[in-house]
Amino acid sequence: MTVADPHDAASAAHARPTPAVRVQSVSIRHEGRDTTTPTEVTFDVDPGEVVLLLGPSGCGKSTLALALNGLVPHAVPAELTGTVTVSGMRTAHETVARLSERVAMVFQDPDSQMVTGTLLDEVAFGPENLLLDRAEVLSRAEESLRQVGLWERRGDNPDTLSGGGRQRLAIACALAMKAPVLVLDEPTANLDPAGIDEVYAVLRSLVDGGDHAIVLVEHNLDAAIELVDRVIVLDRTGRLAIQGPTRRVLVDQVDELMRLGVWLPVALLAALRLRAAGIRLDPLPLTPHELTAALEAQDALPAPAVAGAVDETVATGVARTPPAAEPAVRVTALDLDRGRTRILNGIDVTIDRGSFVAIVGTNGAGKTTLLQAIAGVIRAPAGRIDVLGLDPAKADARTLARTVGFVFQNPEHQFIKSTVAEELAHGPRLQGIPADEVEARVSAMLERFDLQELRDEHPFLLSGGQKRRLSVGTALIDGAPLLALDEPTFGQDRARASELLTLLDGLNAQGTTVLVVTHDLQLVAEHSSHILVLDSGRVAAFGTTASVLASDALDEAGLRRPPLARAFRELERHPSWRSVTRLRDLPSGPTS
Amino acid sequence: MTPSRAAVSTPPIDPYAAPADFGPRRFLHRLNPLSKIAAPLPAMALLLFTRDVMTPLVFCLVALTLLVIGAHLRARSLLLLLLAIPAIVGVMSVSFGIWADPSASADPSVIVEAGPLHLTVGGWLIGLATALRLAAIVLLALIGGLTSTGPDLVRSLVQQLRVPYRLGYTALAAFRFVPRFGHELEVIRQAHRVRGISDGRGPIAWLVRTAGYVVPLLAGAIRHAERVALAMDSRAFGAHPTRTERYSIAFRARDWIFIVAFWAATAIVIIAFAS
Repeated sequence: MTVADPHDAASAAHARPTPAVRVQSVSIRHEGRDTTTPTEVTFDVDPGEVVLLLGPSGCGKSTLALALNGLVPHAVPAELTGTVTVSGMRTAHETVARLSERVAMVFQDPDSQMVTGTLLDEVAFGPENLLLDRAEVLSRAEESLRQVGLWERRGDNPDTLSGGGRQRLAIACALAMKAPVLVLDEPTANLDPAGIDEVYAVLRSLVDGGDHAIVLVEHNLDAAIELVDRVIVLDRTGRLAIQGPTRRVLVDQVDELMRLGVWLPVALLAALRLRAAGIRLDPLPLTPHELTAALEAQDALPAPAVAGAVDETVATGVARTPPAAEPAVRVTALDLDRGRTRILNGIDVTIDRGSFVAIVGTNGAGKTTLLQAIAGVIRAPAGRIDVLGLDPAKADARTLARTVGFVFQNPEHQFIKSTVAEELAHGPRLQGIPADEVEARVSAMLERFDLQELRDEHPFLLSGGQKRRLSVGTALIDGAPLLALDEPTFGQDRARASELLTLLDGLNAQGTTVLVVTHDLQLVAEHSSHILVLDSGRVAAFGTTASVLASDALDEAGLRRPPLARAFRELERHPSWRSVTRLRDLPSGPTS
Repeated sequence: MTPSRAAVSTPPIDPYAAPADFGPRRFLHRLNPLSKIAAPLPAMALLLFTRDVMTPLVFCLVALTLLVIGAHLRARSLLLLLLAIPAIVGVMSVSFGIWADPSASADPSVIVEAGPLHLTVGGWLIGLATALRLAAIVLLALIGGLTSTGPDLVRSLVQQLRVPYRLGYTALAAFRFVPRFGHELEVIRQAHRVRGISDGRGPIAWLVRTAGYVVPLLAGAIRHAERVALAMDSRAFGAHPTRTERYSIAFRARDWIFIVAFWAATAIVIIAFAS
């Protein structure tokens, strides 16, 4: 473009620098949809500024992110109206390739961003595409890899990195494009807590460097919020609802944000609850650290709603009061090998009926293997596991299905029929249950999970949340009193994760024993009754949620305490509050 | 897919390892990948038309010698070449020999007889020729296969044969899909087994089962491919008609010598034994 854009001319007249990104009344309609998300959105991003895009699921945040470097409309079948201007270039008039020198992208799934065989080749891939000479390619590659701390591993295959390492590599690849704008679309949604920390450490150093304007789409506000200068909030229909400096938006407009269904930092939620109970924290805290400081500033605090959780000591291994009834699961001296590697080592665990157990641990600790062995998905040595009187290592599929329901991480993997109703009917039919009884169960299940309208739909055509509900339905329809879920919230946004956990709470309240493998420790803290911490195939701790969170077991197993537990544990002046780990432990306020 | 499991399922063989150099004796690694394909190609084609035992046997020995001397092989590959392949040839020669047309065989004397099956000397020789033919073709392919890497082959396809780089590098990116899909398939099978799909034996049940894996696998594959494409686009893939090649894969005099020498040897073997 040789003709100057009139908007650029206008902004050049002001003292403000030319915005790095200028979005003007942008609406995007995906092919085959009637509505536009986002709708009529206008904002600027200044050079060096860090902007967070917030909004409820489905409001078009990710779509908007894709529009910033021209993937929408050039590579994604969607119609864009309005203009996106990046350093004077109208994205609609440029190729994605040319725009890549202005806007670099990091996506959610690190796996899908890797195209070559070594870290060095991977980082060089972009500059090579730009036809830079070899020396320049290499110097950029080195600089970028050093920025994310991966230069020493330049000869390795990206597959050998952890999830956090691969996402750091993806950031290095974006940095190598030398673009003044960096867009990150949910960069930590697929990572475990250690990976999230790694990625945010890198982002923090980039923000401190100040060379990039950063646009961040992120649900995990607890980690992100410290870095962000300005927040832009979209509402459910994709319209711009609020924009402004971080603190002003989050603190002053908090009620509006709650109404919009936007996830808030848990420290802020805690402060709001306290405010409703008459404890005014000023300024309102946004991070765990600020929450600690604000509470320390208080001279006196009332007793927390749930106190005395620490009196139970955490034993390694079995931590349980004498059984009231037969336990749901009893694992005795379980060793399990996969190939030549020992995955589980002398596991002894007894899980009571009606409990909600979260199995946590770092990657490779053996969480999924233990869950699968309990549910009979993989065969354990006989006689080591007892699930409600059944040995899953010896039971046949039908008996097992009546005892344990297993929900895989990706619901699509377990769908086998072509309609929702058929999908639900499959289990009971295998059990040889008469047709009218099957129909009754299917109807009940459709109603329970709010899927009646969709009974003749193909399972693959459901929305993400509906698929998840259907997969839980199929696991429960044979009447299993025990439900096992393998990382059901992985790669999902917080709203959907929370919906599922609420569903599990409901089932648990009706008596279903729930076992869940997860990385999300705040969800664990809010929902589980017990935590089982695995470390290198051994039980590092097992006990009630409060007692495990109050102990050092999580830190010792290489995990990080969830944000609230971290904030309250640091308290010096209010020892009775140190064991608070959940929002509902706080003096009552409005439900969050 | 958790990172941990993805990493565990990664095969030990790294198809992307940087071009390795193991010194002048392991000369095969120093040749252009294309020359290692071009050189044995005529021999592989001609082998399809031979019927004797000697021609494929000689090619087997030539290929084995080249690999043992000129390739840097791990103990496992060496064992496979030197023990497993002869063993497989032995087994195949017998099983092909049993089914060979007895009227076509030169020597009808029987070696072994078991019920209705009998193996004649002539039949066994036909079986041996067939087995050796297959082994020779495989070994000739392994000359290039064991000594070049996928990325190098793509680079030389782009640099020497002027294959469009978009095609070459997209194919290379697709290499990465393989272990991922392998893992995904395993998870899908587990999930289906849990749902009680594994009940039922026989080819029809197998077919139904396998068909059930296709939909979830394809749905995942298409989504993954779309994401990879977006990631590549946003890193300027396809920006220019060419891209910087950091490693140039040369096609040197030694490549020509290797090709010409191999072709000459091929001609000599064919003339000496086949006719």
